[in-house]
Amino acid sequence: MMRALKAGLARAYSLALLLAAWEIVSRSGIANPQTLPSPSLVFAQLAQALFDVQFLHHFAQTTIRLVCGLTIATVLGVGLGLGAATWPLGGRLLEPLMRLLAPSPKIALYPALILILGFDHASKIALVAADTLFPILLSTYYGARLVERKLIWSAQAAGTSPMDCALRVILPAALPSVLTGFRVAVVISCVVVFLAEMITSTDGLGHLLIRAARSFKTLDMFVPLVTISLLGLGLDAAVAMARKRLLVGYPDQR
Amino acid sequence: MRMRALFAVPGVPPLASMAFLLVIWQMASLAFGQSAFPPATQALRALPGLFQDPGTYTNLGASLWRMGAGFILALVVAVPVGLVMGRSRRVAGFLSPILTAVYPIPKAALMPILMLWVGIGDLSKVLVIFLGVSLPLVYHSYEGARAVDEKLIWSARAMGAGPVQRALRVILPAALPDVLLGCRTGLAMALILMITSEMIVRQSGAGNILFNSLDMAQYDNVYAMIVVLGALGVLLDLAFEQVRRRLMFWADTKVEPLPPT
Repeated sequence: MMRALKAGLARAYSLALLLAAWEIVSRSGIANPQTLPSPSLVFAQLAQALFDVQFLHHFAQTTIRLVCGLTIATVLGVGLGLGAATWPLGGRLLEPLMRLLAPSPKIALYPALILILGFDHASKIALVAADTLFPILLSTYYGARLVERKLIWSAQAAGTSPMDCALRVILPAALPSVLTGFRVAVVISCVVVFLAEMITSTDGLGHLLIRAARSFKTLDMFVPLVTISLLGLGLDAAVAMARKRLLVGYPDQR
Repeated sequence: MRMRALFAVPGVPPLASMAFLLVIWQMASLAFGQSAFPPATQALRALPGLFQDPGTYTNLGASLWRMGAGFILALVVAVPVGLVMGRSRRVAGFLSPILTAVYPIPKAALMPILMLWVGIGDLSKVLVIFLGVSLPLVYHSYEGARAVDEKLIWSARAMGAGPVQRALRVILPAALPDVLLGCRTGLAMALILMITSEMIVRQSGAGNILFNSLDMAQYDNVYAMIVVLGALGVLLDLAFEQVRRRLMFWADTKVEPLPPT
């Protein structure tokens, strides 16, 4: 564990260099510290914020939206993807729909979601779900279609019901692909929830950034931005680790 | 069986799914019965009005200009960076931790900060689009260049090709399928960032039309604009697919998975 950490640090020397350069630029007055606060100040402010009840409240609001949206997208995406991959007509119906909806920008739906679901949690959760649905759905669908046919045939020959076949044969076999899609979706969810809160919200980390921007408190602008980025990095690393755990014994792990 | 035959006709599946979406929309709206959620027929009727307004064209034009500028800037900068990363382990080792750290930052959220630095003009929006498009482009170019068959490069070198020639005539073409995959993701990203940046800082553009119509309670216009933007996304994707086919005529056309948004 320690060795892995040390190796990671040695590899991330460029990141340390970048932070050092930023610190110097900001401290030496090359850049106005009013518009570019130094990273040490930003992280000090962040450490302080972690003990601030107000900040934690905003953080919790963001997390709730993120988790709810991602959960809805995962259930829908995996369910629809498996259904479409096992039921030929379903695939035929879903594929053109995905082709139409996947490349269209979901953020454009946000005004409509506000109109239908209101300014509160629901519209933000719906936007997160809409944006994260497609990576999960696509990777489930294509992963499930690539599952070795013989596995499914033998399960069917052994008398497995279609439902069991989907959940106990196809889903585990498609798991690497599903998890890849999920990992992409996790980072998207962090980004989308933050942006939705920046556009219209009265709470959440995105709202904190906008509030700080309105009063030109640059330091306070960086804190929510760094928080959501660290949350994204952390969740991404967690999913990557879980993926490694879950995929022990799978053939080619990418 | 008849269903299958019908769905095999090109053009039928997308039209059918469009019709399906419109029917769902219509039914949902009738079930809700709110003025804030007009039926599809009513929203589509607002489309001609939207396009009779010259303001729509100036706004959309401004949007597309920024998107194009950001995308091309990213193409010029990110593809060479990615290709160099793919061929040099040292450069890759230097840049990839930075790229990993930058990856989860919401790019459009940088708008307010960038505006402090470069002013409130177009530049901040172009920069946001540039940043967002650069990441997938660098990543895919890197993957493409890394996977180039060493033998191709050796033979080019044996035949006396210099480094520049090797880069342009061996590595770039060999990595092109991956670069184009990055372009496709980047294009989707550019459109998203274009709209988002305009929603956060409302001055002009498509995102501005959306929220202005929302504020003025012109709900039909909001929905009509959403349809326009959705269509724009699909059209850009289709157009890009045509370009890709032109460029990749020499490669085996494998079934292209959809972009990972």
